[in-house]
This record gives sequence, structure tokens and C-alpha cells, in this order.
Amino acid sequence: MTETVSPNLKEQFGKLIDRRLMASLEACVRCGICAESCHYYQADPKPENTPFFRAEQVRSVYRSMFDPIGKIAPRWVGAKPATQERMKELTDMAFTKCTLCRRCTVNCPFGVDTAAIMRSVRAVASANGEAPEILTQLADASITREENMDLFKDIYLEQIEMMEEELQELSGDSTARIPIEVQDVDVLYVALSGAHTILPAARLFHETGTNWCLSMFEAANYGLFIADTATAKRITDRIVKEAKRLNAKRVVVTDCGHAYTTLRWEAPNWYGEPFLFEVTSLIELIAGWITDGTLKVDPSRNPESVTYHDSCNLGRISGLIEEPRIILRAVCEDFRDMTPNGENNYCCGGGGGLVAIEEAKQIRLKAGKPKADQIKATGAEFVAASCDNCRIQLGEIATNYGLGTQVTGLPELVLNALVPNMGRNES
Amino acid sequence: MTPFEIGGLAVLVIGTVLLLSGTAMTLSATNRRAFKIDVAPKRGSAKRGVAYAFSLGMAPWAKESTRRHLIAYVRGIVFHTGVFGALAVLMASPWMWQWPEEIRIAAAAVLTIGAVAAVGGYWIRLTDEAVRKVSTPDDYFSLGLVTVFIAIASTACVVESIVPGFWIISGVVLAYLPVSKLKHSIYFFYTRFQFGTFFGHRGVLKISRRAQ
Repeated sequence: MTETVSPNLKEQFGKLIDRRLMASLEACVRCGICAESCHYYQADPKPENTPFFRAEQVRSVYRSMFDPIGKIAPRWVGAKPATQERMKELTDMAFTKCTLCRRCTVNCPFGVDTAAIMRSVRAVASANGEAPEILTQLADASITREENMDLFKDIYLEQIEMMEEELQELSGDSTARIPIEVQDVDVLYVALSGAHTILPAARLFHETGTNWCLSMFEAANYGLFIADTATAKRITDRIVKEAKRLNAKRVVVTDCGHAYTTLRWEAPNWYGEPFLFEVTSLIELIAGWITDGTLKVDPSRNPESVTYHDSCNLGRISGLIEEPRIILRAVCEDFRDMTPNGENNYCCGGGGGLVAIEEAKQIRLKAGKPKADQIKATGAEFVAASCDNCRIQLGEIATNYGLGTQVTGLPELVLNALVPNMGRNES
Repeated sequence: MTPFEIGGLAVLVIGTVLLLSGTAMTLSATNRRAFKIDVAPKRGSAKRGVAYAFSLGMAPWAKESTRRHLIAYVRGIVFHTGVFGALAVLMASPWMWQWPEEIRIAAAAVLTIGAVAAVGGYWIRLTDEAVRKVSTPDDYFSLGLVTVFIAIASTACVVESIVPGFWIISGVVLAYLPVSKLKHSIYFFYTRFQFGTFFGHRGVLKISRRAQ
């Protein structure tokens, strides 16, 4: 029970500890006031569901390795050795009991970054092959796709062709296209796998006369969830290379929380310099079109009551708080914000890759209770979200808690509200 | 000087030396760690974020957690007022007895309230199940040490003969700080700074967005 998982564990952990992480590991005084900020604790108020309790489990191992007093008198400072059993518990906790939403950080008097602590555990687990298999497989699949591009390209082009036909039907315009590989393009749009994030955006690009093309790669980056920077960078690199090759002015990421955070905030730091192209979210683009009048919308076409769930990655972590509200106020007749919202929103419970982990389904549905209560309190018929993972989770908690609420995306609401023949900016 | 005064002063000097060397080692160990400057194009102002983190961001109304735990927040403020008051008394202790009695009595009263608030920390630590579960012997000892520090500072304001004893307890507190949970007083500046830069740069904080 006293042997460590890997003789390199201290080295692996030590390499991850930058100044930010070290301060978060050292600063906590265990005052306990962050407890209610966590959706897990709100859903199930047990000590082990508090952010400080979870972070303390990691700190106890950290102290046994790096704290001088922890080495001399471990009990005095609560240092515990990194036994196999403990590391397994920490891994399970980091992947299924924390969605890295950082709500505890904004509520901590110190600003302790518990997500960074949990991410370090995920990184150590990934390095030792202990990360949830599905997340690793999904990350690897993105790389495989690039490595076998010739094989995938033909299938992809066929799918795009079929989607193009659908687009023409939906837009009533036989000239509507889903272009790919366009040189000197204004917008390189990076979607998720599947038509649901391609077609609505394609219609909007068509309506606005945008010079755009669709990326050959999907925006999802599971390397971020397993905290494997090398893998995450490799997945990102596919898009970066494509954008450079096409001389794209702007890369627009579909409405997906972690994909936007990855490309907008994390990736430039992996490369050590900002990209030559701009990275924006589709949501920012739409909000801009509505604000400058490029898109003409009629809110009476969405008469139902609509509330909005802030994806943690887009809202609290990326600052996209006003943009979705600009859109919703313009395209919906009855927009109702939930409380709390913006940087104080509750995670839906599906973040941090949890939606993909089948074993964590019951945990995330339980942790989604505060979000279900928030939605219920608005009395809204629809809940809009700007993140695919959030939408999956919201759909499941709507069913699980009998909310009777439908889940939708912002582009869909915008398309509903488009004024016929007036949406296109003729200029 | 009496032997008691000489002994008290010696402990204080040793404590101060250990504080300075321990803090230097802590800062060195921390600053050796990589500091990543965010190169992603900003959406907000990191500077305004930092300014907010150290000012309005610490106000009781700024966070849901402090609004919810207002009594604990107020206790913390009073307790830390006691800590800083005791440090002020320590620095003023060689000349304190030249001050008017009214000022010394007022200082003693403030410090007594601070010491009571410090004892309140035990109440929170023992009654909250989650906090109790993660509390270490160091947590209890540190709190006790600081409580005694404030209480003796209070007494030293009105009983001159206890001043050398106050120097002794001060020396112990100063020496213990860099190797215990008391070092949160150092890391506080790191975490608040990081909070401000992170959420400011990304334009999450309203105040940082306004600067753009």
C-alpha cells in the first residue's frame, strides 16, 4: 500500500507545477466558504463534494513530495504518500468529480485555482495511461484522422456534398455552397463532427455573403480534457496548419466551449506566440452581424420563452457573456436569464469531458440538479446553450428531472428569426 | 535591560531572521517555477483585473460565497485586523509606553475583539464537518499561536511588564510563518494576482471589459 504508482511520479508532478499551480497548492487555508459554489456539493452536500476537500486530497500528496515539513512530520501538515490506491482515487475524482468549471475559483477569497489542481492530476494520470479510455481514444482519433487524411478526405467530401444539397433546400437557393479548401479565405469555419454544427452556420454564412470555407478537421480537442498538452497541441496543429495554408484571416470556432477555449486561449501559449489569424467564436460573429445590421431578425418568429445556459468554457473562462445575450434579446420575444448567470453560472454537470464518460453518467446527472432547478425557476420552454456537450447534458437533465424544456442552439434560433429575403447583406 | 527583556529581544531577533530567510527561500522556490505570460490576444485588461482582485473583488458583496457566509467573512476581517494590529503593536512596542493611556486602552480593546474572532476560527473548524475533516494539526496550532499572539499584544498595551513576553511569542510566530499554513500570507498575493490577470485578460470581469 505504500508503493507509489510510478517511480517518476514526483518528477511528472513536479514538471507540471508552475507558479500559478504552486500558489494554488499552497494558499488554501481550508476556510470552507467555497463549498456551496460547487454544483456537486449543491446537488449532494457531503464534505467530499466540496472543492477544498477534493483539492486537499491532491495537496496531501503534494506535501509528501515537495513540502519540507510534509517530509519530516507528514501528519502535522496532513501529508500522505502517493500510494496506488490514493492515485486511483485522485484520478477518479479529477475526471468525474470536477468539471474544471472554475466556479469555486471566482468564489474563493484567495482565487485558488482548483481546476488547475485537478488538471494536474489528469495530466499525471494521462502520462501513466490511467485517463478514461474513451477520452484518450477520442483524442487519438483526431490524430488518426489527420494521419490518414487521404482516406478520410473522400468520405468527408461525399458527406459535404450531401449536406450542400440539404443547405440548398433549406435556404431555397441552388447557389448555396459549403466550400472547402478556399485560398485567402476570410473565415475558416471549424465545426464539430456532424451536420448539426455545419448546416446552421453554413446558412448564416450564405445569408451574410461571407467569404468562408469549412475546415477539414473538427473543433473538438479531447487532448484538453486529458490534460495532455502534447496531444492537444497536435490536434490543434491540424487547424493551425490549415489556416496558414489557406491564408485564412480568421478562424471561427463553432459554438463549442472547450474547442473555443483551446484555440482562443490555450493554444497560443503552447506555440509561445499569438496566431497570425484571429480566433473568434461563431457566437461573437453572429452578435456582430446582429449589432451592425448585417442580419435582419424578427423576434416574433421565436415567441416561446427562452433561457440561456452559459457554458463555463465560454462564459466564466472566456468572457463571452454579453454576446449570446445580444443575440437572444434580438431573436427571441421572451428571453429570460437564469439566476445566477454569466461568470457566476452553475456548470450543467457535463463539462470537463464528463459527457463522454459513460461510467460517469449517474454522477453528472446528479450534479446537474442545480442547473435543472435554475431552468425550472425561469419557467422557460426552451433552454439555449452555446456548447455541444452542454446541450447533450441539458437534454438529459431535462428528461431526468422532468423539466419539459427543449434544448436548442443559438444559430438555430437566429435562423428561425431571419426575415425572409432581408437576411442577406446585399452590399 | 532585565534578563527577561534581553531574552525576549533575542527570541524576537532570531524569529525575524528565520522569517526573513524562510520567506526568501519560499519566494525563491516559488519564483523558480515557470511563470507563463499569456500570449493569447487579450479580451480585457489584466491590469484592471489585478486592481479589482486586490480591491473591490475582496468586498463582501463581490462573491456569492462571502454573501452567503457573511458572519465567517466578518470574523475573518476582524481576526486579520487583530493580526495586523498586533504586528503594529510589535513595531511600536519600544515606544508604546510613551503614548497616552487612552490610545493604548483603545488598541487593547481592538486587539481583544481580534483575539475573540480568532477563537471563533476554532468554532468554524470544529463545527463544519467538511472543514474539520481536512483540518491538520498545523491548522489548529497556527490558529492557536496567532490567537495567543493577538491576546498578548492586547495585554502588552496595558501591562508593560508583559512586553518581553510579547516579543517571545512574536518571535515564535515569525519563525513559524514560512513553514506552516501561515505562509498563506505570502501566497495570498500570488493567487490574487493570478486571479486578476487570468480573469482580467480574458475579459471575464466586467471591470476588465470596460477598459477595452
